[in-house]
Amino acid sequence: MNPEFILGAFLLLAGTVAAAFPRPRTYLNRLINLEISSWGLLLLMLSYNEALALLTFGGVSALTVYIFVRVLQKKEAAG
Amino acid sequence: MQEGSIAVNEMVTVSCGALIVIGTILTIKESDPFRKLISLGIMIGGVMPFIVDRGLLDVAIAVALIAPLSTLFTLMICGRGEP
Repeated sequence: MNPEFILGAFLLLAGTVAAAFPRPRTYLNRLINLEISSWGLLLLMLSYNEALALLTFGGVSALTVYIFVRVLQKKEAAG
Repeated sequence: MQEGSIAVNEMVTVSCGALIVIGTILTIKESDPFRKLISLGIMIGGVMPFIVDRGLLDVAIAVALIAPLSTLFTLMICGRGEP
């Protein structure tokens, strides 16, 4: 139970609840709150010393955000 | 003597943990997307010293290069119209 594990679990729980029930219910708020839990998962991987998993997840999470942004842009353009 | 040494050693952990908790609560509480992104930056600033503290400097370099990209992508849909 090192501090990284506790903080990562807190971030994961808080980010998941915040992404499920955002205060103003917009897609953008959900997307920003989703990043909190993403960083929590990164801290959990750090507490188990998984360097390769950290590198891969750090690279792919930015790609995921880009895909979500493209989807939201197309949705705004459509209607 | 020993107590003071332990307190100083734990100071970085406690301060960065406080930075993470404060940034998370601010990100959840705020309603303006720009304010949420700034609070998210506070939280990321708290996470980064933990990666460096483990000695994973290559991971720290990769995360420091990639983390602003997701903020940049989010800013692409922040500016226009009613969020």
